[in-house]
Amino acid sequence: MRVRATIGAVVASGSILMIGWDIGLANMQAASTVDTSANSAGAATQAAAAAPATAPATDAASSGTSAAAAAAAPVPAGAADGTYNGSSVNTSYGSVQVAVVISGGKISDVKALKLTDQGGRSVSISAQAAPMLRDEVLSAQSAKVSSIGGATYTSSGYLKSLQAALDSANFTG
Amino acid sequence: MTHHNPAPQRLAPERPAVTHRKRMRRADLLVILSWASVAIVIALFLAEGSAPGFGDVASIFTSLGILAGLVGTNLILLMLVLAARVPVIDRTFGHDRAMAAHRKIGKPAFYLILTHAALLTIGYGIRTSSNPVTWVMDMLAINDIWLSVLALALLTVVIVTSLVAVRRRFAYEAWHLIHLLSYFAVLVAIPHQLSVGGLFADGTFQRYYWIALYVVVVALVIGYRLVEPVIVSVRHSLVVSRVEMVAPGVVSIIMKGRHIEELNAQGGQFFIWRFWTGTDWWHAHPLSMSAAPSKDTLRVTVRALGKGSRSLIDLPVGTRVWFEGPYGIFTQAARSSNRMLLVAAGIGVTPVRALIEQARVAPGEATVILRGPGDQPPYLWQEMLDVCTAKGAQVFLDEGPRPRHTESWQSADAVGKGFSLGAYSKHLLDTDLYVCGPSRWADLVIADARNHGIKEHQIHVERFDW
Repeated sequence: MRVRATIGAVVASGSILMIGWDIGLANMQAASTVDTSANSAGAATQAAAAAPATAPATDAASSGTSAAAAAAAPVPAGAADGTYNGSSVNTSYGSVQVAVVISGGKISDVKALKLTDQGGRSVSISAQAAPMLRDEVLSAQSAKVSSIGGATYTSSGYLKSLQAALDSANFTG
Repeated sequence: MTHHNPAPQRLAPERPAVTHRKRMRRADLLVILSWASVAIVIALFLAEGSAPGFGDVASIFTSLGILAGLVGTNLILLMLVLAARVPVIDRTFGHDRAMAAHRKIGKPAFYLILTHAALLTIGYGIRTSSNPVTWVMDMLAINDIWLSVLALALLTVVIVTSLVAVRRRFAYEAWHLIHLLSYFAVLVAIPHQLSVGGLFADGTFQRYYWIALYVVVVALVIGYRLVEPVIVSVRHSLVVSRVEMVAPGVVSIIMKGRHIEELNAQGGQFFIWRFWTGTDWWHAHPLSMSAAPSKDTLRVTVRALGKGSRSLIDLPVGTRVWFEGPYGIFTQAARSSNRMLLVAAGIGVTPVRALIEQARVAPGEATVILRGPGDQPPYLWQEMLDVCTAKGAQVFLDEGPRPRHTESWQSADAVGKGFSLGAYSKHLLDTDLYVCGPSRWADLVIADARNHGIKEHQIHVERFDW
């Protein structure tokens, strides 16, 4: 009986540790490929029409660096059409910054300008999480959506930056 | 195993071999679960992927420190659960084995927490590389860290007072009061885990798991140590109905209450009693039943050993009684085979007396050995004889002084005749051994049994020295 308990404990603990290790490894790999392009803060604004509807995270960093600095129209009271940059939010895996496109008083698109990139793992996580977050935000028309499991840092940075962008657009939903 | 004397009652679902297998399965599952809980907290750390990592010296210190804290805290929570008298744990391992495990985990858990504090302080120091005084002061200034220092101090007090050598210097009640500080220590350690511990940052699933873990443990402790005893005490409204003299300094206390059968108390189990007299209510008395419970009565038999139990001799009739229990598996539930050998000394006869009354045994399958100095008959002797006669159990009396030159559980006389446990039972290897008496004596009985090749799972002990 004791033997059974020991074997069971070893197997159970071993698998739990391996699962933890695996998740950890995936988290770490998400960050190695993309170098720091965090200096794009405030620079990257794109016209809504010029950007593809979905901005996959891996592209986002490069589009962040190459972004044209076309400033949005002066902001009147209420949410005027245009593209608004969020603030750059620092997380343990690098900074996150998004821009929001408002058209017709609604959130029509969210573009990831910069996503977590420290460790190869964090890049792939962000790449998965960003489109999901974007879809959630578009359907909720708000930055108050739940974060994506397994991508908590990306999510919280993403949503914080988005909120800042919405605030600067005077977007109240 | 069941081919001797296939008496009809043994075909009932509670055949010893079956209950034993079930209990062992439960035991293995609980053991696996405990280890898995340790693995889970380590996995939570690994899953975070980065945290401080192991890249440089400071990070190595910090990471190992966090791991030590996680595992240490998990072990402390496990200790709380083991001491919470959770029914499934009690029915599987028995109260005393659960508490033995609780004590065994105590030191490693404490060392891990000390390591946690030391490694994180060093890791922090390396990173800030200022002089030790300022770095320690800086650290204390971090959110909630002073609370964790307080928790560590409380934990140290609790552990030190529980070291065997130190514990002896305290009255049980004083020690117990100090020991309750551990609950406080566990609680004040929480804030720093959630605010400083990056692993449990807002919104992480690690945070949800950790909080859920605490909620479960706190619920178990409050539920089974506080709420349940009050509810059953009120519900069964037990009062002392008679106090009978059994021998000089030994009394049986008979208590009456409602729906006692619903307690499902088994012969051999004990309760922790609280008698509401003006002077004694703050004393908790762990006492075994000395007879199987009836529909409305419970009986204990107590020898006035300490200051506490002396006041029980003249307990007024009508005294209200609160209790926690029943606890323990010095019962039918622990059996693994059809035969029983019950060995008791002194007041240790009480649970054996209650157990044999309820034992499902065919005539000839149970044997009772009572050991005493021989100056007076064993306590409850007459009723023991009656019960054993009714069960067809054999009773042996080993009376007389202890041997002078060797250590033995038997009398000098029996030792001189070359007796051992094997002399009382031909089928010792196919028998459950129940031993109840003073600790040292019980150890000698068990040593004798082991010499005969009896397996650990066949040995059931109740020690009478708290």
